[in-house]
Amino acid sequence: MSFFGFDSNLPRDRQPGPSATRGFFENPDPFAEVARARALEDDDAIDFEDTYDGLGDQLDDDQDAFNDDTFGGGGGAGPSTGAVGKDFDFFGKTATVADAIGEEQIRYTLQNPQAVLVAGQHVQPDAQPEPAFTKRSGYEKYSDPGFIPDLQAKSSVWGVSQKKPEPIPLPGMSAARKMMSLDEVEAQMQMRNLGYQPSPVPQAMHPHLADPSAYMRHPQNIPLPDGFPTIPPEVLRAQLERGGLPPGMPHPPPGMPDMHGPPPGIPGMPPHHMQGNPPQNIPPQGIPPPGMRQPGPPPNQRAPQQQQQQQVPPPTSRGPNGGLPVITDPQQLVHLTEEQRNAYLVEDAKRAKRNHKIFLLSRGNGLMTPQDKNFITRIQLQQLVAAAGNVADADPEAVLAEDFYYQVYSQIRGAPRQHPHQPLGHFAQTYLLQTGNRIGGHGNRRAFHSADNHMQRMQQQVQRAVEAAKAKPKNKQLIIEGSLGKISFSNAKAPKPMLNIKRPDSSEGPRPKKLHSDLSLSDRKSILTNIEGVYSGLMSMEDMERTMPPPPEEGDAEAIQEHMEWRQKARSLNQKLWQSLKVMEPIVPNSTTPHPFIAFLSYPKGKKAIPRIFRHIDQEQRVTILTMIVVHLDSLDVVHLAQPVPGEAQLSLAMREAIDLFSLAVMPSLLGYVNEAPFNIIIGLLGLVIAQTHVQTVARTRVGLGILTMLLSRAEIVKEAGQASEVDWQQWVAKFNVLFDTLEPALADIFTSPINSGDDMYVWQFLAAVGIGASPEQQQRLVIAVKDRVMETVAYSKTLPADMASSRLGNVNLFMRAIGLDVELLG
Amino acid sequence: MADNEDAGAPSEPLDLVRLSLDEIVFVKLRGDRELKGRLHAYDSHCNLVLGDVEETIYVVEEDDNEEETTRTIKKQEEMLFVRGDSVVLISPQA
Amino acid sequence: MLFFSFFKTLTNQTVTIELKNDIRIRGILKSVDQYLNIKLDDIEVLDLDKYPHLSSVKNMFIRGSVVRYVMLPRSEVDVGLLEDATRREAANQAGKAR
Repeated sequence: MSFFGFDSNLPRDRQPGPSATRGFFENPDPFAEVARARALEDDDAIDFEDTYDGLGDQLDDDQDAFNDDTFGGGGGAGPSTGAVGKDFDFFGKTATVADAIGEEQIRYTLQNPQAVLVAGQHVQPDAQPEPAFTKRSGYEKYSDPGFIPDLQAKSSVWGVSQKKPEPIPLPGMSAARKMMSLDEVEAQMQMRNLGYQPSPVPQAMHPHLADPSAYMRHPQNIPLPDGFPTIPPEVLRAQLERGGLPPGMPHPPPGMPDMHGPPPGIPGMPPHHMQGNPPQNIPPQGIPPPGMRQPGPPPNQRAPQQQQQQQVPPPTSRGPNGGLPVITDPQQLVHLTEEQRNAYLVEDAKRAKRNHKIFLLSRGNGLMTPQDKNFITRIQLQQLVAAAGNVADADPEAVLAEDFYYQVYSQIRGAPRQHPHQPLGHFAQTYLLQTGNRIGGHGNRRAFHSADNHMQRMQQQVQRAVEAAKAKPKNKQLIIEGSLGKISFSNAKAPKPMLNIKRPDSSEGPRPKKLHSDLSLSDRKSILTNIEGVYSGLMSMEDMERTMPPPPEEGDAEAIQEHMEWRQKARSLNQKLWQSLKVMEPIVPNSTTPHPFIAFLSYPKGKKAIPRIFRHIDQEQRVTILTMIVVHLDSLDVVHLAQPVPGEAQLSLAMREAIDLFSLAVMPSLLGYVNEAPFNIIIGLLGLVIAQTHVQTVARTRVGLGILTMLLSRAEIVKEAGQASEVDWQQWVAKFNVLFDTLEPALADIFTSPINSGDDMYVWQFLAAVGIGASPEQQQRLVIAVKDRVMETVAYSKTLPADMASSRLGNVNLFMRAIGLDVELLG
Repeated sequence: MADNEDAGAPSEPLDLVRLSLDEIVFVKLRGDRELKGRLHAYDSHCNLVLGDVEETIYVVEEDDNEEETTRTIKKQEEMLFVRGDSVVLISPQA
Repeated sequence: MLFFSFFKTLTNQTVTIELKNDIRIRGILKSVDQYLNIKLDDIEVLDLDKYPHLSSVKNMFIRGSVVRYVMLPRSEVDVGLLEDATRREAANQAGKAR
């Protein structure tokens, strides 16, 4: 029973099962059994054997004839035991690891000679290597704070070491890494005979050992070559005590047999060893890199002499490197003086620190392929471009298409725009007009009452009419005596009974036709489709307007042609818009479904479209729309659904919003046209109101009264301006009289809001407009009809703060002055 | 730029939604939520902007008798962006 | 791109974001990208007692896909313009589809 629940039986203890020996792959055809079992079942399913191509059977799974070729022997049966890996180049890796290990060892030796001596006991070529060393991967050293990076590998980067202007005795560490020339070998042998007991391996004689990587990989496994010395521990210890390692003996730690020549700097050292420079450290002697070395006669015949001279400087000689000799091999350290050694170690620590930093910085290196990086960069660029509003995109139309809201909004609200040169002005204009209550810009909304703006304009118009009328009073007598006749204003709360006129029952008369309740869903859908069609047309026209060519100059045929084409196009768009508005659809009398255009106006977005439509249509089309509205005045949602409900102080919120929207969006457009309309059109429109609509219904609504006020005040202004012919005026008066007679019974009901609501300005405006045009007799009837409201308002305003009171009295006074009176007269 | 042909009958589902622009719509969302408000914007992902929205959340609760009762929570928002991946359906509020 | 364009006009406005896991965060909209990922500054978690782990967070990046709602200040939205921008977007999409 194992702690972790694994099968803790050793393989040899396990019961030899059918598949226990070599596992799944022992069987040449692992699926054969399955296939056989399938075949026995003999069902209709696809048989493995039927579909199996048999290729797998041809595999020689149990033959490893070529394993030796592949893996370099090792099978035991192979003929070339030990001849491992001469065609693999593990040089770089193993060399660095070996160097690092060697260096650590030297450092250890320097800092702790005693320990080394003890360790020296183990320093035997055939000693069992310490497991810690064999398990080294080469990377754990980075976590070692005392780690000294591999110096040789660094200098190798530069190929030629600039730090060594003078050739320094290079260590024998990698001396054997190249094939020696015949001369070198001879010299070496000669030197060996001169008294060096342990002779280095003459590599030339063991070509298959020339590659040190073979040793590096399996140092302990490789049988030592014949000439390799076996040094007794005593000798080794003696050598260490002298401060150096005997030449030709393996570096500690064991398991790293030394294939190098004796270290330089030892007296009697023949100069030939300079030939053994590691290929990365080519001193400036003209020795070509190993790859260029010819196998023929050595090109460095005279090199030994040179090197001998250059090598002469003792280790103490000051190099350019801060007075320190350049150390390229750890072994050199051993020969330095204490001072130099310390200096070197300090220097070395610095380098180690720097290299460590580089290592840390380069930790993420290679995590991403160049393709990955490219991909990310492209994504980032894309986002930058998108976020920056596509600065590179020179086409303002494309920007507008993609970024319409932002661009126009910025224009309206004054935010800095990224494309200030775009022709957006008119868009901003469009939407400013559309929401006229934002004239102040920057969200500085003007009024709570969105209709106030319109009311003010209406007020101005009525005032103009009143002023004009006052200029020539109809009846001085009336003014002096007061059109309120014999009423005693001093007792407003108890007016004389003689004036207590019985009101006609205004609830009589035909009710407006039922309209919207019959709207079916499909009607709704078609109406909304129409509205969206109108918006599409509007946007086309607005885009069209933007592309209007400049007015052509005389004689510029091309420009004229362009202009003509543009106009043609604009006209066709106008026609399209006009069609989609469906204003010209025939009016079906007494139809249960409203006229398409009136239905259009019953939707908020239909109402909102009117000012934009008016910008793009001509006067004739405008008057057609106005006529359409007037004819259907009592069918408008804001009229026939806005009838005051007895017992309720005010209309529903939705209806109030609809009325506000109509007052805001539609009325100014209509007023704008009416203010310029010829008199006969006004007369005609008034005639239509009388003939086509239920005037009392119209009069009980703000919109209805608004349109009547519009017509009446315009007529008065035309007349006062002397623009009305006598015939026209007679016609007008006739219509007015009909209107007055029709309205009179309803006058008491036109105030639909309670006196304290303050929402009766439009009614006073209407009364004023009627009062101006009324005959003295009509004025008197008017006064009788509304005097209660006058008195109540005057009385109520006395309870109000001064500014509110004056505005309320001002409203009343507009009417009073229209009939030649003033609230001041009321005391 | 502006489409000249959608004055005709809508041909794509989202064209129907276009008809409800600036109209009150009913929107059903994932997680037992419903919205009612004026549609001011939408796109092909059904991202929406609604104005004057009333949100209704249906919460099913189990009482002591293990009977499920549905509680509704209502919230008001003046202007609301709705991420399209929550939207189940958009319906004109007739 | 409609809503990307839309949200760009709302930068530096205070908005409230409701995530699909019901967390509501109020903060200043600092930036938005085409995926409607959102960066919020000076945030405040509305029901902090339920989500105390966010108490020390001052700004955040919100992946667009986890957003359920963004509550906006009405005064900063031009509704009419937005509707027209929507119509244009719809027309553009239809144009691309064709």
